[in-house]
Amino acid sequence: MSSLEITNLHVSIGEKEIVKGLSLTVNSGEVHALMGPNGTGKSTLSKAIIGHPDYTITGGDVRLDGKSVLQMEPDERARAGLFLAFQYPSEIPGVTIANFIRAALQARHAEGEELDASAYYKRLYQKMDMLKIDRKFTSRAVNAGFSGGEKKRCEILQMAMIEPKFALMDETDSGLDIDALKIVSEGVNQLRGPGLGVLMITHYQRLLNYIVPDHVHVMWDGRIVRSGDKSLAVELEAKGYTWVKKELAHA
Amino acid sequence: MASPTLTSPALGSFTAETFERALGAQAGAPAWWLERKRAAYERFAALPMPQRTDESWRFSSIAGVNLDSLEPLAPAAPTARPHVPDFAPLTSLSFVNNRLHGRTALPPELAAKGVVVTTFSEALTRHGDLLKAHFMAQPQRLGSEKFAALHAAFVGDGAFIYIPRGVELDGPILVVHAASGAGASVFPHTLVVAEENSKVTVIDFFTSPANEPLFACGANDLYAGHGSKLTYAAVQNWSRKALSFQLNSTVVRRDARVQSLNIHLGGRQARHESLSQLQAPGAFSEMLALTVASDSQEFDQRTLQVHQAPNTKSDLLYKNALLETAKTIFSGLIIVDPDAQKTDAYQSNRNLVLSDGAEANSLPGLEIQANDVRCTHGATTSRVDPEQMFYLQARGITPVYARELLVFGFFEEVLNRLESEELHAALRTLLKSKLKL
Amino acid sequence: MSQIDTTASAAAENPFAGIDQSSGNFSYDVKYDFDAGSGLNERTVDYISTVKKDAPWIREFRQNALKAFLAKPMPTHWATKDLENINFDKIRYYLSSGQKPKRTWDEVPDDIKHTFERLGIPEQERKFLAGVEAQFDSEAAYSNIKDVVSKQGVIFMNSGEALKEHPDLFRKWFGKVIPTGDNKFSALNSAVFSGGSFIYVPPGVKVSHPLQAYFRINAENFGQFERTLIIADEGAEVTYMEGCTAPKFSTSTLHSAVVELVALKGAKIQYITVQNWANNVFNLVTKRGLAHEEAEIKWIDCNIGSRLTMKYPGVVLKGRKSRGEVISIALANDGQHQDTGAKMVHGADETTSNIVAKSISVGQGRSTYRGLVHIPRHLKGCKSNTECDALLINTNSRTDTYPSITVRGSENSVQHEASVSKVSEEQILYMRQRGLTEGQAMSLSVNGFVNDLASQFPMEYSVELKRLIDLEMEGSVG
Repeated sequence: MSSLEITNLHVSIGEKEIVKGLSLTVNSGEVHALMGPNGTGKSTLSKAIIGHPDYTITGGDVRLDGKSVLQMEPDERARAGLFLAFQYPSEIPGVTIANFIRAALQARHAEGEELDASAYYKRLYQKMDMLKIDRKFTSRAVNAGFSGGEKKRCEILQMAMIEPKFALMDETDSGLDIDALKIVSEGVNQLRGPGLGVLMITHYQRLLNYIVPDHVHVMWDGRIVRSGDKSLAVELEAKGYTWVKKELAHA
Repeated sequence: MASPTLTSPALGSFTAETFERALGAQAGAPAWWLERKRAAYERFAALPMPQRTDESWRFSSIAGVNLDSLEPLAPAAPTARPHVPDFAPLTSLSFVNNRLHGRTALPPELAAKGVVVTTFSEALTRHGDLLKAHFMAQPQRLGSEKFAALHAAFVGDGAFIYIPRGVELDGPILVVHAASGAGASVFPHTLVVAEENSKVTVIDFFTSPANEPLFACGANDLYAGHGSKLTYAAVQNWSRKALSFQLNSTVVRRDARVQSLNIHLGGRQARHESLSQLQAPGAFSEMLALTVASDSQEFDQRTLQVHQAPNTKSDLLYKNALLETAKTIFSGLIIVDPDAQKTDAYQSNRNLVLSDGAEANSLPGLEIQANDVRCTHGATTSRVDPEQMFYLQARGITPVYARELLVFGFFEEVLNRLESEELHAALRTLLKSKLKL
Repeated sequence: MSQIDTTASAAAENPFAGIDQSSGNFSYDVKYDFDAGSGLNERTVDYISTVKKDAPWIREFRQNALKAFLAKPMPTHWATKDLENINFDKIRYYLSSGQKPKRTWDEVPDDIKHTFERLGIPEQERKFLAGVEAQFDSEAAYSNIKDVVSKQGVIFMNSGEALKEHPDLFRKWFGKVIPTGDNKFSALNSAVFSGGSFIYVPPGVKVSHPLQAYFRINAENFGQFERTLIIADEGAEVTYMEGCTAPKFSTSTLHSAVVELVALKGAKIQYITVQNWANNVFNLVTKRGLAHEEAEIKWIDCNIGSRLTMKYPGVVLKGRKSRGEVISIALANDGQHQDTGAKMVHGADETTSNIVAKSISVGQGRSTYRGLVHIPRHLKGCKSNTECDALLINTNSRTDTYPSITVRGSENSVQHEASVSKVSEEQILYMRQRGLTEGQAMSLSVNGFVNDLASQFPMEYSVELKRLIDLEMEGSVG
């Protein structure tokens, strides 16, 4: 079993501190939801964990199976098992999805050890079918000219192919209509299992109707202020984020 | 004509005496051909060398354009078999030092339909009228009038390709132009006439042994008749010590479609001029180029899209990747003649600068004299996008490989426009061989 | 000069045809006390120096410039051959009624005062300007700065006066941004310059209202060669506006100015031009700014008049994080060629330049965009963006675009986009269906095309610009 431990993490962008001492542990097999209003630092947290150069970690640690990842390059962290489904995935003109995912998988093999091409395509098509992605997409450039829903499905496809230990999903539901949301959720649910830990970042409770979390955390001003089970999300939906704010005022 | 002295810098090694010797080697050719050559030599001798202040040579290294110390008449003895790309053509011709070196037979059913794939020497006797009508018949408007004249004066053997009305060829015709011997001068030429509703793909491949100095002064004439479909690809892979000129002229007639792709890899200093004339409604010219510029190479590309009739279309996309201290110049112009209404013209130059010592120059131009047109151009010069790099790294791909993927992605946009998978693959392999990041 | 066709069919074809170019088409028969005569040689330059009581170094500067002018060829290897129609021997290089501008309008001679009253200058001054200088042929007739502004230490006066009153400050920057030999016309200006503004804004001073200059050509066969130098000291901010008109004579007139801007660390200069010369004026102007660290120079350049304008305002981005911007609007009607654009030379890390150019070609008018963006080696984090849009009104209107971009090194990013279009027929039909005439619809459409740029002008100038475009449209209405 694996674990992703975030302890007392502080993250800044430039001079400004965004994440202010956040601690959270996700174990394999668990699905955690991290909720909170816009601007509380949810996306910052996810980008800092995977090593985006614009985000500076000023304190605390992120450990994967007990080993700090903070000195690792972004690609090393990815190969170690961290995966981020981006809120706004980059467009990569000229690089097809098939070649891109293949390159990502190849990077996880030892040098000189070639990927079996036919097995690769068989698996790719199977995952694409699962996510109801047209096979024509394999020859399209990564995210180039994709709709919002197509980009999100492409992220989940990569996640399905790469099979990370931990998946951070940043606002995966944003920009999806109800059909796309169902497809994406089904895809994630199929990937759930003892080998995968998930941290789902979302603004709305809506996604949690489809991907039911084991734990729910509420983030506010760079910290986790409440944790509970899925009922916390329901309560939050009913009472709104002003409720958390009031609670905080009392505290 | 003023008679230039033997030491004139405007002549370099191409003195009147060497010209006479070159002409002597073609003694059996028809009188009109020899006459044209004499006229061309006179033009060459009379025209000045390019000056720094010439607009059409802006940013070019004039000092590198030097005709001295060359071997104007390349030796006859080729040594090695020229390197050719890895795919199977319908038929091929190969030239070494301006002479035919080898050919494969044209499939008999094509010969029976009247397809001609042959040499200038043969065409001069059997297809003189066609050669007369199309050989360098178009105006030189892009600055290399002098070198066009030099080419016409010294051209030896070249490829003559004729596709009769309604004949469609499935596979490509390959023409290999090779050079060998230090300081040799070569004047490769490929002439393609695609008659009404025909279809053909022609590939020019230029190659010479690495590290041999070379002067290459080539030209090609492409004529796409009414409703024809002509695809042309050229791979310039001369030695890194070559000074190269390649002058292209494309004529596109009613409803014809020409797609040309020039890949530039070799040369110390290489200048490519490309002129597309859209002469009748429905004409479409797609002009593509990919350049990998490394070391201290200079690639100088000058293009002109002339819309001479209404309802014509042109689409240009030139991409350069620059490494080390390389330099590129792209100077393009779209001209829309008065009354060429409903023109649809596009021109785009994208430079990817991969090193701090490289220099990209871009001069995208428009001259529009009709109002009901859609004309746009764009030029960008940038580095590898850090956000894209990060996205790839976040998927576990190493920075070195991520960069390579992105650079190939940059080229794929152009290669993807090719219909032939086989050609696409062959060209990709060639690009990869040069682009070791 | 091409003839303006006023037939009905031509008016339908060209909604701008047959329109009086501007309200500035009048002149007075002024008696000049100082006249350098026609033609240009050492004696002409000497005459100007003597009349202006030039210091020895200025005398020498002028004579050297004359040599440079005579030595330089016409730039016709890239520019229009129309330049060859300038007859330098016929032009009168200096005309004035004295060198000392008046401080109140009452002191200005009647004819000259009436000229500026007809052009609305005193009224504008009262309404929204911090200072005004009004140049009539070679010299300023009027120059005044509001007390509140001069008390802040702002200097705003005629260049000739500044040479005498602030010689050190003037000499420090004069000719440093645009050297004499920059081009043939900067050399010409350097030989015979007269008039123009000098502005110095002390550190930290932000001039709240614009300073304005108005340039008027009154005499036939005249050449106006003003010289403007604006220095914004550290953290200072200033907006300068200039307007111009001339009567339409049958012979050509030459206007060739040199304008140098210096923005020291953190300073901001905004320079606004609405050029509305008559259709016989050759308008060949060199304008350039030098931006120091974190400074910002913005040219807003609007060209409506003249026969031929060649003008490419530039910014040399010398200091780290400096910014340069050119907003250019050009309208070329029959017989006009607006050859305009911008130059951006990046000289330090993290410098930014932005060029937005929109041109409208009407009838046989020709508009040309020329741009230069240069990023030399070893710079990091430079960005440049250019957008050029051309609108062609008639079937035979013409537009050209000639940008030149050089980028060295891999740490910078440059973009250039240009497009050409015509007024959308559907848009016109839509507006006509709502009851507008074709002319009104066209006017709305053309104003819409430049609207995003015009809105960057100060209110009074954007209203003026709209009025000029509407005026050009009137012919097709009713």
